[in-house]
Amino acid sequence: MSLMEEIITAVDEMPPFPQVVQRAMRALAEPDYEVAGLVDILKVDQSITANILKLCNSAYFGLPRKVSSLKEAVVYLGANQLRQLLLSGAASKIYEKPSSGYTVFADELWRHALATAVMAQVLRQHLRFKIDENTLFTAALLHDVGKVVLSAFVIDKYRAIEQLVETGESSFQEAERQTLGFDHAEIGGKIAEKWEFPDAIITAISFHHEPARAAKEFRLLTEIVALANSLTVMVGYGTGVDGLACRGHDLLLKKLKIEARDLEKLVLLFQLEMVKTCEDAGVDGG
Amino acid sequence: MSLVTVGIADLKVSKDPGDTLVTYSLGSCIGLAIYDPVVKVGGLLHYMLPDSSINKDKAAKNPAMFANKGIPLLFKECYSLGADKKRMIIKVAGGSQIMDDAGTFNIGKRNYAILRKMFWKNNVMIDNEDIGGNCNRTMYMEIGDGKINLKISKKGMVEL
Ligand SMILES: [Fe+2]
Ligand SMILES: [Fe+2]
Repeated sequence: MSLMEEIITAVDEMPPFPQVVQRAMRALAEPDYEVAGLVDILKVDQSITANILKLCNSAYFGLPRKVSSLKEAVVYLGANQLRQLLLSGAASKIYEKPSSGYTVFADELWRHALATAVMAQVLRQHLRFKIDENTLFTAALLHDVGKVVLSAFVIDKYRAIEQLVETGESSFQEAERQTLGFDHAEIGGKIAEKWEFPDAIITAISFHHEPARAAKEFRLLTEIVALANSLTVMVGYGTGVDGLACRGHDLLLKKLKIEARDLEKLVLLFQLEMVKTCEDAGVDGG
Repeated sequence: MSLVTVGIADLKVSKDPGDTLVTYSLGSCIGLAIYDPVVKVGGLLHYMLPDSSINKDKAAKNPAMFANKGIPLLFKECYSLGADKKRMIIKVAGGSQIMDDAGTFNIGKRNYAILRKMFWKNNVMIDNEDIGGNCNRTMYMEIGDGKINLKISKKGMVEL
């Protein structure tokens, strides 16, 4: 079997994206979803139920009394908070799969993914991009999911990738492409396809290192994910063996009308938001 | 013996010889370690941005996020544990860059430039540093002897 075939098999064998989360997301996408129906979907999963109640009762919301009914918690959190909680919960389990090869610290891929999702939201809000919040959040959160699969296969090829990166001329993703014939972004796109995510998300994941290759209708989404990724890598959020060998896409900044001084402000807003998010998610964001 | 984590936009000082201060994953951020070998007092700062003038309100609550607020605070906290400016050993790491030809993503460079400027104005000399490139660094400081170790992506552990 060729390496690519082996990886395709591994993608096929990946666990499905949690059914409860996908069903809840579909229900939430209906303009007039019913809380009772949503509660029926969610209550099947005890750990999701527990997490919803935990978030609702967290210090962040500072409610005067304890909420103990799932229905009440769902109403209180609202659709957006609920979506993000469900997605983060599912994504954290996927990224925390024990992997070697690409990671230095165990929770690193997850921290990087969460940071990228937070950064993407900050970019969207402060630069007023007209992009669906949840599509962006999902794409940013899952952008590096290909690394989860690739990590296990790349161990013996890793030295070759590293040598290319050391020349200073190739980014990590370019070195993957040159050494293996494909890269983690492409594999991530295949995983998203298998999970039956919408085309927008598949595209943004597949081209998060080469946004210019994204289909026009999904270009802006892909560009924001690409930029969010570059910025979290820059500030040092959960990068692995690849260090900072990631392209910054100068032209993107120009196109999105972001100036050097804006970057500092965005990093500041990101960090404050990240600290809050990590408290909620129980991640050591520090 | 305890490992004390200095978060992002955070600083810690100590005079407990059993402590190791550590700050993880310095990308464009800078890790500044200062140590007085006579009283064995040390401090470690992990700042993200050069200048707090971009948002004064937020800066007041998060001084360690910015070079211009965090650096003076780090020195002040070490002085309050008995350290003396004349004896300080100063080591600096971080300030990396992602790959960008036009240099617009140069927060790392600016983070380092402001530190040099502040030190120059205040007659402070850097004893050793490991700056720039596109690697990721984790910085450890032993309070017992002031030793600084760096864990660098692609290179492994080195003493600074
Ligand atoms: Fe990536
Ligand atoms: Fe990434």
